[in-house]
Amino acid sequence: MSEKEDAPKEIVGYRQQPGKLPFSRPGSGGKGKFSESTDQEMIPESQGGKLAQEWGPHRHDELISGRVIGKSTALVDSSWKVTGQAHYGDDVRLPGELIGRIVRSPHHYARVLSIDCTKALELPGVVAVATGDDAKNRFGVLPVTKDEHAMAVEKVRHAGDLVACVAAIDEATAREAERLIQVEYELIDPIHDMREGLEDSEEPIHDRGDYHIGESNVQKRVFQEFGDVEGMKEKSVASHKKNWIFAGVNHAFTEPHAVVAHWEPNGRLTLYTPQQVPHYVHRALADVLEIPMHQINVHRTFVGGGFGGKSDPFPHEMCAAILARKSGKPVRITFDREEVYWVNRGRHPSRIEMNLHADDEGRICGIETDALIDGGAFASFGHVTTYYNGVLHTAPYEIGAFHYTGARVWTNKPASGAMRGHGAVNSRCAVEVGLDDLAEKLSVDPISLRLANLLPPHSATITGFRVTSIGMRECLERVREESGWDRKFRKLPLGKGIGIGCGFFISGSGLPIHWDPNKFPHATVHLKIDMDGGVTIHTGAADIGQGSDTVVAQSVAEVLGLPLDMIRVKSRDSDTSPVDLGSYSSRVTFMNANAAVSAAMKIREELLDATVEITGAERSSLIIGDRRIFLKKDPAVGVSYLEALHKSQEDRGALVASGAYRTPPMGKMHKGAAAGLAPAYSFSAYVTEVSVDVETGQIKVDKVWAAHDCGKALNPLAVEGQIIGSCHMGMGQVLSEEMRYGRSGNLMNPDLLDYKIPSVHEMPEVIPIIVESNDPEGPFGAKEAGEGPLLPILPSVCNAVYDAIGIRTSELPMSPEKVHKMIEKRCREEGLSDPNNLTSPSLQHSPLQGVLEKRANEHGIRDKDRRLNQNRSDYHNGALFGLDPTIPPDEVDPRWSVRVTPKEEYLESPRLAGSAWKHAERRHSEGQK
Amino acid sequence: MRMPPFRVLSPKSLDEALMMSKELSESGEEFDWVAGGTDLLPNYKWHINVKGTVISLSSIAELRGISEASIGAMVSINELAEHESTHPVLAKAAHSIASVMIRRSGTVGGNICLDTRCYWINQSETWRESIDWCHKCDCGTGADCRVIPNQNTLCVATYQADLAPVLMCLGATIHLASPQGKRSIPLSDFFKLDGMTRNILEPGEMVTHITLPEDASDWSGDYQKLRQRESWDFPEAGVAVLWKVEEGDVPSSLRVATTGLESIPSLHSEEAEDALENWSGLETVEILSESIRKAVKPVQNTWFSPSYRRKMVKVLTKRACRKLLVS
Repeated sequence: MSEKEDAPKEIVGYRQQPGKLPFSRPGSGGKGKFSESTDQEMIPESQGGKLAQEWGPHRHDELISGRVIGKSTALVDSSWKVTGQAHYGDDVRLPGELIGRIVRSPHHYARVLSIDCTKALELPGVVAVATGDDAKNRFGVLPVTKDEHAMAVEKVRHAGDLVACVAAIDEATAREAERLIQVEYELIDPIHDMREGLEDSEEPIHDRGDYHIGESNVQKRVFQEFGDVEGMKEKSVASHKKNWIFAGVNHAFTEPHAVVAHWEPNGRLTLYTPQQVPHYVHRALADVLEIPMHQINVHRTFVGGGFGGKSDPFPHEMCAAILARKSGKPVRITFDREEVYWVNRGRHPSRIEMNLHADDEGRICGIETDALIDGGAFASFGHVTTYYNGVLHTAPYEIGAFHYTGARVWTNKPASGAMRGHGAVNSRCAVEVGLDDLAEKLSVDPISLRLANLLPPHSATITGFRVTSIGMRECLERVREESGWDRKFRKLPLGKGIGIGCGFFISGSGLPIHWDPNKFPHATVHLKIDMDGGVTIHTGAADIGQGSDTVVAQSVAEVLGLPLDMIRVKSRDSDTSPVDLGSYSSRVTFMNANAAVSAAMKIREELLDATVEITGAERSSLIIGDRRIFLKKDPAVGVSYLEALHKSQEDRGALVASGAYRTPPMGKMHKGAAAGLAPAYSFSAYVTEVSVDVETGQIKVDKVWAAHDCGKALNPLAVEGQIIGSCHMGMGQVLSEEMRYGRSGNLMNPDLLDYKIPSVHEMPEVIPIIVESNDPEGPFGAKEAGEGPLLPILPSVCNAVYDAIGIRTSELPMSPEKVHKMIEKRCREEGLSDPNNLTSPSLQHSPLQGVLEKRANEHGIRDKDRRLNQNRSDYHNGALFGLDPTIPPDEVDPRWSVRVTPKEEYLESPRLAGSAWKHAERRHSEGQK
Repeated sequence: MRMPPFRVLSPKSLDEALMMSKELSESGEEFDWVAGGTDLLPNYKWHINVKGTVISLSSIAELRGISEASIGAMVSINELAEHESTHPVLAKAAHSIASVMIRRSGTVGGNICLDTRCYWINQSETWRESIDWCHKCDCGTGADCRVIPNQNTLCVATYQADLAPVLMCLGATIHLASPQGKRSIPLSDFFKLDGMTRNILEPGEMVTHITLPEDASDWSGDYQKLRQRESWDFPEAGVAVLWKVEEGDVPSSLRVATTGLESIPSLHSEEAEDALENWSGLETVEILSESIRKAVKPVQNTWFSPSYRRKMVKVLTKRACRKLLVS
């Protein structure tokens, strides 16, 4: 059934032992003895190889030399990790280091009246103390919402907010000094409930000046209407409505935050930090410390897990730099786990109202979403999150109308931010559970419902996103077949259930937030090859364990026909790395590997030129194999890689090349059109089987069939790892993980005993199914695999629980006690005393099922044609509803016009988050400037 | 997290340990015994009731003996779980504790004397400061109880250890030693209903071993526990039911004990006797389970809510009796 049962596949680079490596000889090509024959299985059919290309040829085809792309490859930095030699943030030890500690607020919201550090400074061993007065400049990850300080200036905004910091000769002294710093506070009434944040407040948590929304704590609000919103309710024959509550979750990475700052003797600052976005830290440091960026080197250490939780510039990084400047010595700050929860940036606690409508042909004629998200005390990535909660569920389905209201409010909690599946996870769960409910109401199979409503490849979504490759149909078909769906769905006994869920995610965000994409690229890669033949890659992409160093090495090795051990990646220091935006929005493989391919192509050109010069062969008939460039028809005629290299190095020394990637122009022009825009999108479909204990409400996930369309698996081993890891992470959110705030507003479980990450006992068997849709613009066809695979696990578990016991949750996590409550309720409604006598749902197909199956078949043919036919015409969302697919419907049909601000009528009875629009911005309200 | 500095003493024999205990109490110095350290050291890291000295029992061979009738305080939970002479229900309970690494360090004595736990205590000092302290561990601050406010005397922290209920049902006796001498009492009398003092151990006194009565092997039964995850988590509720069946399928003796629900584990003798008197199989189990549910009074200070835990006590009791109905 699955490929895993075949003979074990060889893993490139596996079982390496220091000092015992079978090193490749750079100039071995031509001797036969050392050169490996080309792996025809890896060469595309269009290039005369044996690799089947069901999705048609790809522009990178001719760059494939059969070396490493598509082969399971051990991560290039794995030996460091498994031998314990990888240095993470806290492993950096500089001579004479001091230990920094942070004084934190015990109050949720208070004005800082005074800070007295005298006693702390008198303690022997204390070297420096700093407070908010030492760094008054604001910073933040997004240029539009810089609202953080290194330490409290004027106010503290959540329990755990930074007030002061101290550096001492050792940790014990620093901790003692921490207690000696006396802070006087004046308490302000805190806000804990996100709904309160929508109201006017006497003391809003931040003040945005003229742009402040009323006197409320609304940080960002979004209103969007696309398609025939007015008509959707008339046409609908089945509707779903649910009010969801999602608890906040934390990334819970293994490595707590840690940072070392050192002002070197030459006066420059080096900051050692496990960061996903070293470049943003670089910028923020310059702002806060008031020194030019060229005087700062940000060194990314190994990162012990990020998942979005290390993708903001953090106040403690500023603190370390300030303390180091004051003391003249290196300062190291390492967090306790509790502090990790206080800096948080996890998934937003959310209240989402989801409405779905289906018409008599089983088309999704409308989605109405209202999402109120709890941002905590700071903006972080929240501006984007507010959009993502809406726009990222406008695909993969073709929809008739989309109405979205979203608002993010400040509350006196640790800040929420970006977390794996940024902004898409909660609302995706609500949509997919809604589709399951719609299928139930229409008496059709939920997979058939989805298959009959998919957007085709190379189309535009209702919000105007350009979607290129789509492997959604294959994902759905494969999980249906491999899980035995048709035998099991609605046919399993009480307590056993099976459910489906899908996902859609961006593969890189379309706009770099700090500059114009037309002027400066998203990603840049430099290559340098000297006489030894080894290739040095300089890249700023942050390897956070996802394998970006490996992917960039693979890409270069593939294009140049070199073994992986001839590639070395330098990606740590901002001094030597080209600017890269960092590891977020699943952009690295797509953008950075594309940049690497461009750079490698330049080197390749030079090697080919040199070969022509040496051999006199015709350039177009040369191909690159393993460390050798030769005539395709007569492999005996050719030169070794080293010979060609040395020829091109004549008169100038090392070869250097630079490659860059920027996104093509895309998207519409309305306000917020750029949010959710990406050069490619990933798709996924999971089927999950669960067991539910009807007496206790405990859920056990038994098995997951997880299909993910990553375009092309550059490293299948890493893709499978991402899929399995995503299942684990998402399962935590759906079953047990939550940041639980007690009645005092305090986070009750800031530790890994009470923050319930599923253990190995809870982990089901996961069957990863890789679907390769061969993206036209991705490197070798690749798209993301880091975040998208997380989305489907949540709804597929929810839907499987419904299949098992006929209850639908509207609250995550589905802890046993919540499930038990729902079971009790159902028992009461049905007059049963023993939950074992409940019945699980059944399904009798309605005539609509046939209509859907027929349409799905037709669409399957349409999709195949669209992906192979290069002369395809445009396809805009709306064609399924009878509109002309070649013209964007909002340009021709007034009913489909785009709205980004609410009408007056809407404000008479707005939804929850929609009520944020009741306030006017200060600059627009009377009596204000 | 960092533990405050403390002194470790490592006696090589029980007598030496008691001598140290005596010397310390004579000099008025407070100390803790440390066995496996899996409970004490995390609390120390949180700065909960830290003492200046700890006496480690790890080098005392006398405390490590294990046989069918006697279990030394320093026997590791893992050893208890794996040992061939361990009563099967006790082995099941031992096997369900925490994770394998903790079971290898944690000891039987330590598990029985496990400190009580509460959301408002088991937190760092900074965190406790933010709720204006907790009265169990921040003495001198005048703090109130955060679970049941407006009372400053009783601590309702929860006892969340697994071995005690099974041992109580088996009729175990606990043996204590102090510089003043030795004493032995039934385990069911060992605990004291207060989350702070927890048990009757006097300052300087320690647990040496547990003994089981001769008829222990005649008892069969089951232990059921409730928790979010199959590993690591402390029991949110635990029910041990043990019985003797002499002939037919009517039990001649029946004992029920619970843990994880109050500040101490409880042996529910009355409820068990009532059930035994009117035994009629399934129906009695139903009544017994309901009476146990009514007998326990959990509070809101662990992961699951008190109402859910009480409901689950009923389910767990029924499940623990399942084998009784089959046999």
